[in-house]
Amino acid sequence: MPIRSKTFCESYHEDIKLLDTIWSKCWMVLFILGLLILPYITDTYIVYMVNLSCIAVVASVGLNILTGFTGQISLGHAAFLAIGAYTAALLGEGLGMPFWITLPAGGLVSAAAGILVGIPCLRLKGLYLAMATMSFGVMVEYVLITWRGLTGGERGMYMPEVNVLGHVLDTDESMYYFLLCITALMIIVAKNIIRTRVGRAFIAVRDRDIAAEVMGVNLTGYKVTAFALSSFYAGVAGGMYAYVMGHIHPEHFTLMSSIEYLAMIVIGGLGSILGSIFGAIFIVAAPEGIKLLAQGLESLIPAMQGRYDEEWNIAVFGLLIMLFLIFEPGGLNAIWQRIKVGFKNWPFTY
Amino acid sequence: MYFLELVISGIAVGSLYALIAMGFVLIYKGTGVINFAQGEAIMVAAFIAYYLVGFGVPFWLAVPLTLVASALLGALTERLVIRPMLGEPVFSVVMVTIGLSIFLRSMAGIVFGHHNYVFPSPFPVEPLHVGGIVLSHNHLWSMIISFLLMLLFFFFFKFARLGLGMRATANDQDTATLMGINIKKVYALTWGISFVVAGLAGVGLANVMVLNVGLAFVAISAFPAVILGGLESIPGAIIGGLAIGILENLAGGYLDQIVGGGVKDVTPFAVLFLVLMIRPYGLFGTKEVERV
Amino acid sequence: MRNKGRLAGITALVCMVFFLSAGLALASGRGVTDDSVELGFVLVKTGPVAALGIPQGNAMIDYMKYINEKGGINGRKIKVLWEDDGFHAPKAVAAVKKLITRDKVLTVMTTGGTNQTIANMKNIKRYKIVNIPNAMSLEFFDPLNPYIFALGALYEWQYQVIVDYINDDLKMKDKRIGVVYTKKEYGKKGLDSVKKRAAKYNIPVVAELVLPTGAVDASSQVLALQKAGANIVITCDVLPPIISFLKTAEKYNYWPKVFGFNWATDDLLVKACGPAAKNYIGAGFVGSWTDDTPGIKLVREIAKKYNRKPKLSSLYIGGIGVSMLFAEGIKRAGKDLTPDTLKDALETFRDFDTGGIFPLVTYTSKSHAPAKKVKLFKADVEKKCLVPLTGWRSPKDL
Repeated sequence: MPIRSKTFCESYHEDIKLLDTIWSKCWMVLFILGLLILPYITDTYIVYMVNLSCIAVVASVGLNILTGFTGQISLGHAAFLAIGAYTAALLGEGLGMPFWITLPAGGLVSAAAGILVGIPCLRLKGLYLAMATMSFGVMVEYVLITWRGLTGGERGMYMPEVNVLGHVLDTDESMYYFLLCITALMIIVAKNIIRTRVGRAFIAVRDRDIAAEVMGVNLTGYKVTAFALSSFYAGVAGGMYAYVMGHIHPEHFTLMSSIEYLAMIVIGGLGSILGSIFGAIFIVAAPEGIKLLAQGLESLIPAMQGRYDEEWNIAVFGLLIMLFLIFEPGGLNAIWQRIKVGFKNWPFTY
Repeated sequence: MYFLELVISGIAVGSLYALIAMGFVLIYKGTGVINFAQGEAIMVAAFIAYYLVGFGVPFWLAVPLTLVASALLGALTERLVIRPMLGEPVFSVVMVTIGLSIFLRSMAGIVFGHHNYVFPSPFPVEPLHVGGIVLSHNHLWSMIISFLLMLLFFFFFKFARLGLGMRATANDQDTATLMGINIKKVYALTWGISFVVAGLAGVGLANVMVLNVGLAFVAISAFPAVILGGLESIPGAIIGGLAIGILENLAGGYLDQIVGGGVKDVTPFAVLFLVLMIRPYGLFGTKEVERV
Repeated sequence: MRNKGRLAGITALVCMVFFLSAGLALASGRGVTDDSVELGFVLVKTGPVAALGIPQGNAMIDYMKYINEKGGINGRKIKVLWEDDGFHAPKAVAAVKKLITRDKVLTVMTTGGTNQTIANMKNIKRYKIVNIPNAMSLEFFDPLNPYIFALGALYEWQYQVIVDYINDDLKMKDKRIGVVYTKKEYGKKGLDSVKKRAAKYNIPVVAELVLPTGAVDASSQVLALQKAGANIVITCDVLPPIISFLKTAEKYNYWPKVFGFNWATDDLLVKACGPAAKNYIGAGFVGSWTDDTPGIKLVREIAKKYNRKPKLSSLYIGGIGVSMLFAEGIKRAGKDLTPDTLKDALETFRDFDTGGIFPLVTYTSKSHAPAKKVKLFKADVEKKCLVPLTGWRSPKDL
């Protein structure tokens, strides 16, 4: 009987399946179980960090849809997060609406803003588009800090706690599960968009846009859709951020934040959802990890006692970014794929 | 009168922006990358100048030494950070420069300290009075230097062999290599020269501003100038820089009082956005020709 | 597709069930053992505004080291952890979370600036963080916040004293005030206070200009002030932009009387600006480095002992003062040391004397508000420092 040496696909559905083998299904179940019991095996601070990572994951998935898959570089992502956050705050704190209205509303308002930015920017390419989106970001920041009547200006806005069916989620652990659900939902939706026709259209726009248009891919429609979709994700992420922090201020959404989100997808891997997740976790967790490492080293090596300087963290962080990209320009995702392929093909090398 | 004063001081600040923008454009022209670490290059040069003068080196000697140090820093950066990225997508290289900027900023904090330093200006404090308009010496000098540099680079890129080589490399790396241009040398020289320009900008800025690690963020304000003039155009960088300087000051002088303050900083970006709507490649940039 | 949907559905259901998980109960006696007390604080240590946090942070660590060398407090040695926030509110929130949940400190002595403290309000309430932040805005003290204690005179009062001085003591014809502020909470507070008070005296405020903390150039602001004819400029910003402003004004031959609040009132201003600072008058509530009071002498002694030469000396002095208040509070709380007993201990302060560092400190259970006392200093260019111009003043009751 012939033995199958690789997995073959015999239908369209098989080809785009997310979990194709029994092994990947098992790993996924184990992973989910691990996530569910995380708060019981680690301390509150790590849970808080994971909460922040969830927000970053949603934001970076959104940015990857726009930049990684559709090739439109955006340096204004933080502005869309801000719009989503402030919308959620206005509805949640001002009008007392529950989370299942404020979060989608934040996403929708952000998406509308995304369309407003996307349409004028249709002609721009590459770094010019990046600068245009950056200008938009700066303008949004200005409006947020100046329009005191709406946004509280320099004071910022407070945000109430999430209220699920009467239970107030006031601990990091309960917020963790809440955020986990939303993040999982957003990731699944993104994965589904990417593996179908819309996703392929995005990739066509990125790779050969003129040829794509010739073949019938509506450039305008898909570019604007990409902007809207990515802004929706950013808006939801912004709303989540508002709930986690309890207080938002324009200085949480600066150009530096936009650059951070960009760093997340480039380091994670452009054009891959898994890459966005890796990148987001890396950027959120790496500074803390470096700090822990440095403090651990300090206590082990007596020569370094008392000489530890916070600045070294940041220097090492910058260095890590550089080294990652120099040695693996495909990002964390490329490294992950290589590891996976290595395992799959072991003991053969290819 | 007030208007004219604002315009003149706008030109003065604008010439500093022009210097910064030139640095960006040089690297883009030579290697096709936006160098996010330009601001940090400026800051490091300013600190080097500060320490040299602090050690007693006279100003007219400290500046060339600073420029030499900047050139070395540029070449070193290119060799260690950019050379390995030859052939990678532009985006990744830009991200590497972002990582570099974070690294340089914190290293500068460690090496030079976090305090606010005041650069001992060699120029007399009394400003010049030209027909009722006040102009400070170091602003005058930055203007002169910017214009000289513009002329220099204009001819360099148009006629000099190396300049043409740089333009060829930026346009199409593979073809340039095939034509016999030594890409490595071109890259190294591009970065060296750009960092020298950054050094000049650094010395100019140090005279005007309080010197601290935050000097690096001034480069972000110069982005509109870079894009306004178009990414490949040196005259565009100068004009963009001056335009942004004047615009900022006019907005600050007239609009700040009306619209509630802070308009000065957002105006360049708003104007940039509008210009990009009309001219997608900036005022003087070259349109990218795409082949299917 | 169907499998994925089912999987997602089960996951969601399971997650919903876990929503009711209880948070970790706070350990009582947090950060305290029989022979040690662990304290933390959040202050900027890196980044462009690090110069504003490093002297104070060093001071707070130094003072506790000094106390430890004298035997600690009530037989306990004090350990201090300094978390950096880069003057960025989200980092400040994460830093506070880390100090409380991971390092389990007794309290976070200061949560840094105004924005950082506002962002941390939820944490301060939840974790009972007894705190003396670098934020002197009325809303932290009125209504009473049980855990926030005041550092010094509120910004509102400082500016009221300044405008009172302008009205009563400044010999000038035709006073016209221009305000230069930054778009931060304390900048806006300053602007509003000045406008309100000047209106009471019928002194016109002819210009309101924004000078961002990282400004490249203050030319348009100076020119606009000159055009509006402002002969008095009140600034509401920290030190570095004020230095830029004074030097730019010098360049344009513009010599108004310039006023600033406590974060801009430091000897460094005179040292850095030279003759440009000759018209500067600053409000402050911290003693001068050169005073001969016992507290300031102690500050100089500690600085020498640990080899510190702080550039912003007023911040170093303030830091020693804050540590002194906490040390006294810990002492008064006695053997049973928890955040609540620390809070109660601080509330027993009646005219507590820091030896000339701060004015006499009184906290009661009804009010943690600071003393309404501000001193005005003026710049002495030859001596390269600030010298007292007035004694302790309070805003007049109008």
